[in-house]
Amino acid sequence: MLTKDLMAASSKPLLLSILAGGESYGYEIIQKVRELSGGQIEWSDGMLYPVLHRLERDGLIDSEWKQADTGRERKYYFISPDGRKALKTERQQWLAVHNTLGKLWKIKPISI
Amino acid sequence: MENQTHFDLNAAIEGWRQELAAQPNLASDDRRELETHLLDAIAGFQRRDLNDEESFWLARKRVGQPQQISEEFVKADPAKAWRERIFWMALGIIMFLLLTQTLTFAVGIALYHLFPGLHELYVKSGFWPTNAAVLIIGMALARGWFAQSLKLVWFLKNRFQLVALVIILALLLSITQTEFARENFVLNGHHSSVVTWEWAPWIENARHFLWAYLARIAAPIIFLVLFFPAQNQKTPKRS
Repeated sequence: MLTKDLMAASSKPLLLSILAGGESYGYEIIQKVRELSGGQIEWSDGMLYPVLHRLERDGLIDSEWKQADTGRERKYYFISPDGRKALKTERQQWLAVHNTLGKLWKIKPISI
Repeated sequence: MENQTHFDLNAAIEGWRQELAAQPNLASDDRRELETHLLDAIAGFQRRDLNDEESFWLARKRVGQPQQISEEFVKADPAKAWRERIFWMALGIIMFLLLTQTLTFAVGIALYHLFPGLHELYVKSGFWPTNAAVLIIGMALARGWFAQSLKLVWFLKNRFQLVALVIILALLLSITQTEFARENFVLNGHHSSVVTWEWAPWIENARHFLWAYLARIAAPIIFLVLFFPAQNQKTPKRS
């Protein structure tokens, strides 16, 4: 399990990356993060929405209520052009950290 | 005799919905979003062959305690809670103005027709009986006296208290203003409390006007903003 600080810091790049791959809604996002991290990153469901709403307020993502195939209405989120720019910056920064640690831990670097 | 009570999923969801609605910091859109999430989570557990009851409790646990969620929402957007509060304060002020004006008008007319003598007294008193009546009702509401008999849900009571408080404050301050009006009335020597514009130089009128409106509208808001943020932090009792 990640520490609280790391959890908070990584939520933005994770959400932007997921939404860069296509629109999604809260429940699906959490399932995806749980699956991708192999259970290492467990977001409490109720905590996800404040983060999503903050990103929306910052103009990085947009949202819309839409009816799913099952007939249930869900609030879908999708990434905005500003969000893509922010994701680029996030990516550079996270990889910079990753590569620095990688050098120290003798792991192959990832090109930025 | 059946000992095992049947678990009613719809009733459980309704209960959860109400618990969520008791959180004053969650907008209806937020609640709707959290509810679709709960339903998705329940459906997810049901697909894994868990029964209704297990699915509900696990999904509920996943989504988190309503109070916790509410706190997280406030942390993410502190200004939102204040926007909500200011909205209710403004509503309180409008309600107060409407209520006193309507009542004053109605009581004035009724007294004029029924007891002309009393009507004069009423006008001379600066309409304070109406104000007093509204004050008493407002205080009762603020104390939550009617909450039980009106079967108000918790969050409604909470909002009522805020609105009622504004009414009380505005009333208390309007009594100060009525003193002004009475003074003017005596100075002018005729039966009107809207004579302010005639007797004093314009600068005096402007000062009076400013004071009256600042006292009526700005002061209650400032008071509430300073002293009542804690009101919204309460948790409803959990069964």
